[in-house]
Amino acid sequence: MVSADFIYLLPLFFVGLGAIVLMIVSTFKAVTIRQGAILALIFLVLAFIANTFNMASGDEVYSVYPFEEVFNKMVIVDTFSGYFSIILILGAILTILIGLHYFERRKEFTVEFFSLFLFSVFGMMFLVHANELISAFVGLEIASLSLYVMIGFEKVIDRRIEASYRYLVLGSLAGIFFLLGTAFIYGATGTTTIGIIGDMSLNTFSTNQGLLIIGGTMILITFLFKITAFPFQNWALDVYDGAPLPVTAYMAATFKAAIFGFILRLMIVDFDLIRDFWDNALVYVIILTLAYGSFLAVIQRSLKRMLVASSIVHTGYLLIGFTSISALGESAASSIIFYLIAYFLSALGAFGLISYITSDDRLRVTYDDFRGFAKIRPYMAAMLSIFMLSLAGIPSTIGFIGKFYIFTGAIESGNTVLAIVAIIATFISIYYYFKLIAVMYFYRSPELTNVPPLKGIAPTVIAFIAIAIIWGGVGNTLIAYFPGVDFLIDMAKASYNSLFIG
Amino acid sequence: MDFGILSVIIFFPMFVAFAMLILPVSAKNTRNAAFFTSIVIFILVSIVYFNFEVTSNMQFQEHHMWVAAYGIHYSLGIDGFSLIILMLIAILIPSAYLWLWHGRTKGYWVSMLLIQSGITGTLFSQDLILFYFFWEGMLLPVFMIIGMFGTGDRVFSTIKITIYTILGSLFMLISILYLGVAFFHNFGFWSFELSDIVKINNLSRVEELWLFAGFMLAFAIKIPLFPFHTWLLQTYSNSPTGGVFLLSSIMAKLGVYGIVRFVMPIFPELYKEFAPLFVWLGIFGLLYFGIAAMMQVNIKKMFAYSSASHLGFIVTGIFSLNAYGMTGAAFLIIAHAMATGGLFLLVGKMEYELGIKSIPALGGIAKKAPVFTVFFGIMLLSIVGLPGTNGFISEFLIILGTFGFNPAAGVVSALTVLVAASFMFWMFQRAILSNNGNDVSGMVDLSVKEIIGMLPLAFLIIAMGIYPDWFFYKIAPTIHHYLVDILEIRN
Repeated sequence: MVSADFIYLLPLFFVGLGAIVLMIVSTFKAVTIRQGAILALIFLVLAFIANTFNMASGDEVYSVYPFEEVFNKMVIVDTFSGYFSIILILGAILTILIGLHYFERRKEFTVEFFSLFLFSVFGMMFLVHANELISAFVGLEIASLSLYVMIGFEKVIDRRIEASYRYLVLGSLAGIFFLLGTAFIYGATGTTTIGIIGDMSLNTFSTNQGLLIIGGTMILITFLFKITAFPFQNWALDVYDGAPLPVTAYMAATFKAAIFGFILRLMIVDFDLIRDFWDNALVYVIILTLAYGSFLAVIQRSLKRMLVASSIVHTGYLLIGFTSISALGESAASSIIFYLIAYFLSALGAFGLISYITSDDRLRVTYDDFRGFAKIRPYMAAMLSIFMLSLAGIPSTIGFIGKFYIFTGAIESGNTVLAIVAIIATFISIYYYFKLIAVMYFYRSPELTNVPPLKGIAPTVIAFIAIAIIWGGVGNTLIAYFPGVDFLIDMAKASYNSLFIG
Repeated sequence: MDFGILSVIIFFPMFVAFAMLILPVSAKNTRNAAFFTSIVIFILVSIVYFNFEVTSNMQFQEHHMWVAAYGIHYSLGIDGFSLIILMLIAILIPSAYLWLWHGRTKGYWVSMLLIQSGITGTLFSQDLILFYFFWEGMLLPVFMIIGMFGTGDRVFSTIKITIYTILGSLFMLISILYLGVAFFHNFGFWSFELSDIVKINNLSRVEELWLFAGFMLAFAIKIPLFPFHTWLLQTYSNSPTGGVFLLSSIMAKLGVYGIVRFVMPIFPELYKEFAPLFVWLGIFGLLYFGIAAMMQVNIKKMFAYSSASHLGFIVTGIFSLNAYGMTGAAFLIIAHAMATGGLFLLVGKMEYELGIKSIPALGGIAKKAPVFTVFFGIMLLSIVGLPGTNGFISEFLIILGTFGFNPAAGVVSALTVLVAASFMFWMFQRAILSNNGNDVSGMVDLSVKEIIGMLPLAFLIIAMGIYPDWFFYKIAPTIHHYLVDILEIRN
């Protein structure tokens, strides 16, 4: 007899189980990478089905604490966590499908990699399900530790080792801030449970407000570090660049979503006080993040580094959504979630396609290497262009709708200056995104290097992402019952509302 | 979901373009398909034109919700002003295709089709976000066509025009979003539809000024209005013929159209207040670009400047705040598109046959290619504004309008038109007529296709010049509506 509470935890269970099974399986030499990947995919798909089942059955907005007598509100399952789990599991599935070609070409990758991969997914899902600071820390560290190893998995390449080590040291340092912040908050309020902290923070008599703000600030520092916001962005370029491309894609798209998921919950439910305190400071953080990210992106010659640097700029856009939360609530939160999805798709597509292109050789890394690429691989060039356009926020892509929501929210909440700064950053981004399109289409390439052909799983998946990006940009209720922009927004709103009924 | 005729006009070329892109079709067949598409569109537009009732109402409207959460509508419609531009596009594009018949690749035709979709979409949009959508979307095929098929330093020119126009449109985007938010604060629900946005009444003067500036910047760059013209020269001289044709004869006009369609109804007070500035800016542009054109040796660059010079005059017309000026401006949009478009096609041919762009190196074309010369002459006379051509009617009306606005401005504009046009004859004499011994033996006269392509333009230039009322009556109620209802001017 399976209890109802257990059904709620099935998605987490499947991913965790998959990680352990893969760990055991990886001891058998006979298992190939492809088989390992398929096994991982099976568990992810099971988790996805369980998660969709949870979301589809019952109310549109739900919130439960499974096994409350055991976990005591440490873990929460609501529409919000369900929605983010969809993003995370989908991100993991897509990363494996896209990266498989790459993993198979590099002999250092073994089946253990997928075990680590599932552990990291488990950590991220745990993070968005966490309703308590220590649990969140556990989730964050499970995900981070797995990533440290995944980054350095190709151990014959020095850059990988360097990136892994750098991330390990800096990431642990950032983690310490989180712990210290938790301790402060516990000192101020006597609890680490989200929701109760919020209630306590309003009680000015018994709560030490200063301590609470310092604690909250420290936790925010950890998150600003993880999402590569200014002034904690310097590690990103070297670490992301040093990581294998599929892992970079995974970190930039999926890991970021998980962190934003948790910090959204924390900010919305708990940190009214800190939010007010931080909103002004955040404006400067955003402006500097946008400015510095744009600067970094403009000066890069390597495509991968440009994409990484531009992900800093996208972090800036996302943070703009945060400043609108106080004034707007629902629509600001849903704009953040929508932008996350938009960025998730575009970044995964861009990184994924480049990783596919470079999986056979290591030649195509700079802009110049893509000269005349459209002649050799017209469809790949077209897809890459779609991703660039979406990242730049050109109409008819999902990136435009995402920017539309974020900017409208900023203006609506009175932060027109931020909207203008963001527009200027967008303007600069046209340069580095369009440069790739120009290079691919406007030059003739003298020699044909070996680019993998457009067949197999990875290109198919990438093509689907490209179609999804266009659909997200123009789609509406044209096709009945097919989710379009409005559907994503409604879902995001439902997940926001589920935060308040727990 | 039902689609009206306007949707078909927008999306049919786009559909054909993508079909051609995906299917393994040769460049030749792509061209045939593109030409066929343009003829179909011409027929559809003719149906629209003749069914258009002579009132100032928005007609052929289509209205669907697009993004419900923010009240973005897929909302289309045309009035008299858009109608004549639409008709213009429908006539110009097949003519141009006949001229571009040989030696183009598949990508070229696909880009042309996409540009056509973008242009018509921009023209029909009655929702600000939808308008932005097409306005920005139109840029991509332009980017492609210049970058892939241009000459000279094409990559740099492409990046330059892209950066320029996107700078303008992004500030327009901010203004649009701000208006949407203002509407929401004003009425409690979201809408970006033009008919809703015009009702906003809670903006302060400072806010309005900034928003006005945001819109005007985008349109001024597109037109281009002095001093936002620095992209012009390079882009025009490095673009392929088809690209420069569309840029000069249609896309530049969309900047003017945007002012009339959006800036005028949303900011009627500011429109009137800043009218003197733009009238003088237009006249200054007319003179400045006229002088700049006179000094060009490269014939394409000369036309680029002469085109900008006339666009300045169009801007003068639409800001003259009276029926003469505005009707004249609408008329000049048509006249100028035909004449300049025709000239760019003719020059493109000359460049293709001879490989020469410099005026002093040309000469004696008239002997080698008499038919070419005749058409060249007709276009030229329209540009100069000789009585009997549509150029004359439109320039005359704008001068009248400017007189009505401000006699001093009227005098200056009348004189300036003469100055700005004189260089055209000089060029004609040097490059085409004079027998100065330059080797132009490579020049061949027009083929049958090219003559067929050029005939409608030449015919309309003269027909509109002799009997302009054919064309006035469709647009007159609309202009009246703009002046009396929107700007609240009675004269």
